[in-house]
Amino acid sequence: MRRLAIPLIISLALTSVRPADAAPCADLTNPVFLQVGDTQVNLLRRLGRALANNTPNPITFVFVTNGSCDNINAIYTDLKINGNMQYIPSSAEDPAWDPTSATASPTKQCQVTNQSLDVANSALFISSCPHGQPPAGQQSSVGPVQAYVLAVPEASTQTAITFEEAYFMFGFGTAGMITPWDDQAQHFIRPQTKSTLLTWALNLSIPSNRFTNMPACTGSGTGTTTAPCFEGSGGVVTALKNTPTPEKAVGLLGIEVYDNERAALNILAYKAKGQYFAYYPDSTATARDKKNVRDGHYTVWSPTEWIQKVDVNDAPLNANADYAIRLITSKSVSPAANFDPIPLIVGVGLIPDCAMQVSRAFDGGNLARHTPPTSCTCEFEALTDVSSCQSCANGEPCTSGVCRAGFCEAF
Amino acid sequence: MKTLLWSLLVVLGTACGSDNNETPDAAPPADTQPPTPDASCFENPTTHKEIINACTTAQKIERNVTPPLLNPDGTLPQLP
Repeated sequence: MRRLAIPLIISLALTSVRPADAAPCADLTNPVFLQVGDTQVNLLRRLGRALANNTPNPITFVFVTNGSCDNINAIYTDLKINGNMQYIPSSAEDPAWDPTSATASPTKQCQVTNQSLDVANSALFISSCPHGQPPAGQQSSVGPVQAYVLAVPEASTQTAITFEEAYFMFGFGTAGMITPWDDQAQHFIRPQTKSTLLTWALNLSIPSNRFTNMPACTGSGTGTTTAPCFEGSGGVVTALKNTPTPEKAVGLLGIEVYDNERAALNILAYKAKGQYFAYYPDSTATARDKKNVRDGHYTVWSPTEWIQKVDVNDAPLNANADYAIRLITSKSVSPAANFDPIPLIVGVGLIPDCAMQVSRAFDGGNLARHTPPTSCTCEFEALTDVSSCQSCANGEPCTSGVCRAGFCEAF
Repeated sequence: MKTLLWSLLVVLGTACGSDNNETPDAAPPADTQPPTPDASCFENPTTHKEIINACTTAQKIERNVTPPLLNPDGTLPQLP
């Protein structure tokens, strides 16, 4: 017995420490291969878990992460993936896996050879990257909106910043003399391929290559960027937490990253060009309702875009990829899913289009009033705050509007 | 005289405001025109400027600072 047990233990240990031994991803149930920005991983974890358990049409998300512009390029040029990818397990495979805790429940690993992507994600307008619009045979769908923030350490006493201050701070660095952020070593940024940097650049009218600290980003994509430039959002978070001068420190983050770090970080309300006051993305510093993003008072945001392959008639080549994208973009699917995707999207700090009251045509562009085809504002507010909408959860008729997800939506 | 000064400010402000027509390499003009008390928010916003200054119950924070390197005419200088 002992003879058998020792090799078994060694084998198990090797399996856990050598991801190269991972099983083929192709053996998973209906795998959809994605390359996404690291800001979208929280969404993939929650939606991927629900899809893996979606009895009417179970799908396994298999993915790698990279910067938005690199993701666009990868699917445009059909770059092949070799080696290990991450995937989201079903409850049948791992009942204890927690989609809300990356620390306690890391993603699983599987292996691919010359694998093409089914889906690529950009966490900002495709037009903000240098690769152009999708080529023939590919199609992009506009997904939930993501806000981007200027985060500061919890110990910082700062509460707001203006467009002009941010322009001098990131465009001139220390020489910009913007107090208290007058030490450019404490301006934590991301490389030029990342949506976080690009969205801020376009909102501040600073070309992405002209950020004072951009020289520290020369190793982008190789994992060798040097502070104060960080390849991943986690590097910015760590730098903000560990800075010896919290009053001078500021970092670029996606709001969903900040929402998971509220105990250690704060964000600055932002006063856009031409705006009379500064606003948080939420209605207050502590709320999570994204009210100011939805109604246009907080201007630094981008929609996510989801690119898939289509045939000459624009019909999706991979029905499961299309199914997943339709759920992400709040469209109907067939067969109907056994879950509502909106709480999952809202739960990671994203805003579905159906809850937006403003839109824009490109990153940093002017805002315009927006009326989505169907509204989910009541559901959104109920999920993030207190909804003042009439409930129709128990079959009560709506005095006005349409009953959807238990609330009387305006349309 | 006061009215004349305000008119001048409004004319200058209108002349300098470009509402997002910057080319990527051009220094954008700063918008430093203060809101008048009766125009601190907009009830039925339609344009970009009205949307970002629409009346709201959200928390708003006053921040009026003049960066040291701002041009005397209130515009932003080119990046170094």
